[in-house]
Amino acid sequence: MSFRKATLIAALLLFLFYILLIFSLLNFFEGRNFLKVLLAPDILFSIRLSLVAATLATLLAVAIALPTAYALSRLTFPGKKIVDTFLELPMIMSPVALGAALLIFFNTRSGTVIQEKGILFVFEFPGIVLAQFATIAGLAARLMKTALDEISPRYEAVARSLGSSAWGAFWKVTLPLSFRGLVGAIILCWAKAVGEFGATVTLAGTMAFKTETMPTAIFMALASADIQKTIILILILVGIGLTALYAVRLVEKRPQII
Amino acid sequence: MIEIQDLNLTLGNFSMKNLTLSLKEGAFNVLLGPTGSGKTLILESIIGLRNFQSGRIVAAGKQIQNLPPEKRGISYLPQDLALFPHLTVRENLLFGLKAQKKFSGTEESHLHHLIEVLKIGHLLERYPQGLSGGEKQRVALGRALAPSPGLLLLDEPLTALDPALKSEIQQLLIGLHHSMGFTALHVTHDLEEAYLLGDDINVLIDGRLEQSGKREEVFLRPRTLSVARFLGLRNLFPGKVLKAEGVEGFIKVGIWGREIMIPSGHTAGPFSTEEVILFLRPEEVMILRPRKPIKESPRRNILAGVIERILDRGTHRWVLFRPTGLEVHLEINLPNYVFRDLGLKEGQEIQVAIRRESFWVIPFGNRPESRVQSP
Repeated sequence: MSFRKATLIAALLLFLFYILLIFSLLNFFEGRNFLKVLLAPDILFSIRLSLVAATLATLLAVAIALPTAYALSRLTFPGKKIVDTFLELPMIMSPVALGAALLIFFNTRSGTVIQEKGILFVFEFPGIVLAQFATIAGLAARLMKTALDEISPRYEAVARSLGSSAWGAFWKVTLPLSFRGLVGAIILCWAKAVGEFGATVTLAGTMAFKTETMPTAIFMALASADIQKTIILILILVGIGLTALYAVRLVEKRPQII
Repeated sequence: MIEIQDLNLTLGNFSMKNLTLSLKEGAFNVLLGPTGSGKTLILESIIGLRNFQSGRIVAAGKQIQNLPPEKRGISYLPQDLALFPHLTVRENLLFGLKAQKKFSGTEESHLHHLIEVLKIGHLLERYPQGLSGGEKQRVALGRALAPSPGLLLLDEPLTALDPALKSEIQQLLIGLHHSMGFTALHVTHDLEEAYLLGDDINVLIDGRLEQSGKREEVFLRPRTLSVARFLGLRNLFPGKVLKAEGVEGFIKVGIWGREIMIPSGHTAGPFSTEEVILFLRPEEVMILRPRKPIKESPRRNILAGVIERILDRGTHRWVLFRPTGLEVHLEINLPNYVFRDLGLKEGQEIQVAIRRESFWVIPFGNRPESRVQSP
């Protein structure tokens, strides 16, 4: 078998594996129930909660990840490698472990003070946002760093020599040039936040009409053997995820300015 | 005058100690050196993109080393030009003027003049991706010169160009410099380019400024063996100063078992009795025609020997000459018409004469690894 053929077969098998998983859901799918389940108040609440929390978590993550990514991409500073390594922690750490660590933190003295004097996180909406933020912030920084790495620092050097401040050079040159990569990173992080389960369920719980996001709703529906609801929720989640991933491809495929 | 004074910079294993470099106002200064000699580090230090341990950068009498890059009034043209791909040619040209808020009539007419000289008026609404290599070079030059910088830094911008385009841009640079009189520092490792463009040439080797001066001075009168070897000079022979004083205006040097009186003006230093290197330009060796009288000076230094090899170098003939009884070779460059006239052949026995003014004496240096004699 030729090398080319072997790689193509591997790609096809992997594609079929995921397609098969999706199609297997359709075995138990009853179309007439779709709208009924979808429009149920608890499901609509879960969808809305997931989208709002994921959007907030993504905005917060981008706010901290973009400057972090810039520092890692462009600057030299002591401990850079250590910071860089820690950013990957959420990627290798189980989400449940991450949620548990957050839960434990809010039982420490500092955590209690934050809860009492500031914002309630445990089993509350801010807990969902925090759990999703913790899961995606490192990933956002990593993806954005990759986007910034692709832009030569010489553009900024030239912009500064022409009279732009560091902020000006970033705003007028680096940001527009890395825009597509950054938007791709944001969409991916948002999609990951929407699908986040482990950390969210551990920190915020699974209270209906309060902290039940789509992934937790899937878990609860499955636990109560409600297959129809489970399948419909999975399909909605997959639909949102695939739309987001396709949007990333569209952003990446936009033609170059000529 | 722009001066870099006592620059000290360490980066990994590379270090630069107490480097001082003066750039003449309105001159096309060249910083010439091999790869890894520290040229780009100096350039980044001047722009303000590289922190150095100590030193001063003085422009127009003011220290600017603590100013951010945007306040230094120095334009930078990198090797890849870094034209902003998301901006049109017009926006690229206006970038510096907008950033520096220069909107007066003078700046506007200067920009129009640049656009005209660079012949880029028809490109203004296009994006850099659609431009040819030469057009990109012109736009990048225009963008760098539009804000009328106090200094233009060029970091090997012509290195990757094909010979025809390189020649075109070199001519453009010379013309622009003559008409506008800006101060430039051009960084390159290309000897030919340095000679063509540079009013003043500064040779940097291993983080040390080995020699600065007019181009003829640097190329024809290297002050150190390192410079001579970097410039690719052939015919470097070991000798010894036998008498540094005594005969007015001359030093006595022992070479090839004979003594030669060399004018003091043809030496790179005051010398005492010491080992030295004698450099002899391949164009300066005269091949004697049988029965043709010669002047007195070359008559003193006649060597008989045999031609070992002849190569056609296109513009001239390269002749490898081996003097009888000596373990050395002399390389001789002959104009093609002279070569044809003499009818030389490999293996032919000839006589060559060398004027004492054709020698240039440089210190031996303290580099035992430097091979002196050409094989």
